[in-house]
Amino acid sequence: MNNEHCDLLIDYLNGTLSDEETRQFEEHLKTCDECREIADATGQLPYLSEPAVPPAGMKSRILSNVFAEDVATDSSSTSSASSAAAGATAGSKASSSSHAESESSDRKPRDEVEEEKVMQMTQPIRKRVWWTPAIAAVLLVSLLGNAYAFMQLQQEQADPAPAPTQPETAFQSIDLQPSEGFDGDATAAVIEEQDGALNLVVTAEQLAVLEGEQVYQVWLIKGDTPIPAGAFTTNADGEGATYFNIDNNTEEWDTIAITLEPQPGNELPQGEIVLSAGL
Amino acid sequence: MEKSSDTLLYSRIKEKDKDALECLYDRYEKILFSFLYKMTQDRDLAEEALQEVFIKIWRGIGEYDDSKGKFTSWLFRMAQNSAIDLIRKRKVTVPIDEVAEMPSKDSSVEKTAEWQDEKEQIQAAVSQLSTEQQEMIQLFYFKGHTHEKIAEICGLPLGTVKSRIRLALSKLKKSLHGMQERGAIDE
Repeated sequence: MNNEHCDLLIDYLNGTLSDEETRQFEEHLKTCDECREIADATGQLPYLSEPAVPPAGMKSRILSNVFAEDVATDSSSTSSASSAAAGATAGSKASSSSHAESESSDRKPRDEVEEEKVMQMTQPIRKRVWWTPAIAAVLLVSLLGNAYAFMQLQQEQADPAPAPTQPETAFQSIDLQPSEGFDGDATAAVIEEQDGALNLVVTAEQLAVLEGEQVYQVWLIKGDTPIPAGAFTTNADGEGATYFNIDNNTEEWDTIAITLEPQPGNELPQGEIVLSAGL
Repeated sequence: MEKSSDTLLYSRIKEKDKDALECLYDRYEKILFSFLYKMTQDRDLAEEALQEVFIKIWRGIGEYDDSKGKFTSWLFRMAQNSAIDLIRKRKVTVPIDEVAEMPSKDSSVEKTAEWQDEKEQIQAAVSQLSTEQQEMIQLFYFKGHTHEKIAEICGLPLGTVKSRIRLALSKLKKSLHGMQERGAIDE
């Protein structure tokens, strides 16, 4: 069992072999039970990972980028990827091709493979970026506003319970702050009906007028996971409102945001955040 | 059965069946993302690495066949390599004091039954290793460090590091085999 190939097992598993060495080692794996069994045993180690919740929209991003290859095979239109991002990826791509691509050389000229990769890899990064930093920035901005809203809330809670004759009670109200480059005001309130059902009411004004199929979509966000919570269009004065049943679930959300979506019915946000607030 | 359906899916993917790729994605998204997140400690990097894995699968780069061992081992190794690439490229440093922490047995987060079974088995196997061997596996496998780096971290000669990793993995393999054989007898 102990020949010079076996000595390379650790390097193979650790991804430090060259393409040619990797190919040779995989040949060796076919004949060496010991090495193959050890490689298989390490293949069970990932199950030690603590479960992590994938980011919202990851599946659609990844699959669309993977399948984009089919559309883009003849793609000189890759110029849509920003040249800066392409450059950054190109600069470091040499190392990323070190392992599993070892068998690619007989399928496609390497340049072609990597050119596509540059295009593919730039896409998700750009798509992903808007969401997290935008929320982070907006959260920061809205913290002050929240502090005020929170104090108001505290006060309301300290007050005696509302008279039972009152049909509905707004027990949490918050102002949303516009993102940079957007105008508008919006207030979100959670309203409890007599039967205990909770509704999220969002009213907005001074919003940019919509075009075509566009809608303003409200999202409730927990961590990285947005849930659609009502959509609305605006009148000629840029005013709009929506009313959404949230099934008694108020505790979990950390952010409320309104995005400008290219069309109604999106399960995950595609457009940019217009207004938002931390909860 | 799991194995045969994975390889079946894989053969459909080779024929450019998008549904098959999506099915494979759904099947392994959670474990792969969790694993990649454990390695990179960064959600964006984990997603990037995961995307790289599926791009490679879709393009048939680094093709799988039985001679490469179990399908999941091959899949996870591709994921691990993608993460290592990104870690080394971006010089992600993962705090070293986390090193000796193997995950504890109790986790309140819900997992699929299969994941749970595999986890219990590998946990039992890992627990038979010495602390030092567990640490080697952490540094080598999850942190993606080179031997040189591990030698530096542990203050050991390079040759010693290599032989200790090999010994740790070999023992892990024997423990897992022992369990699987006992399991087979029990049934």
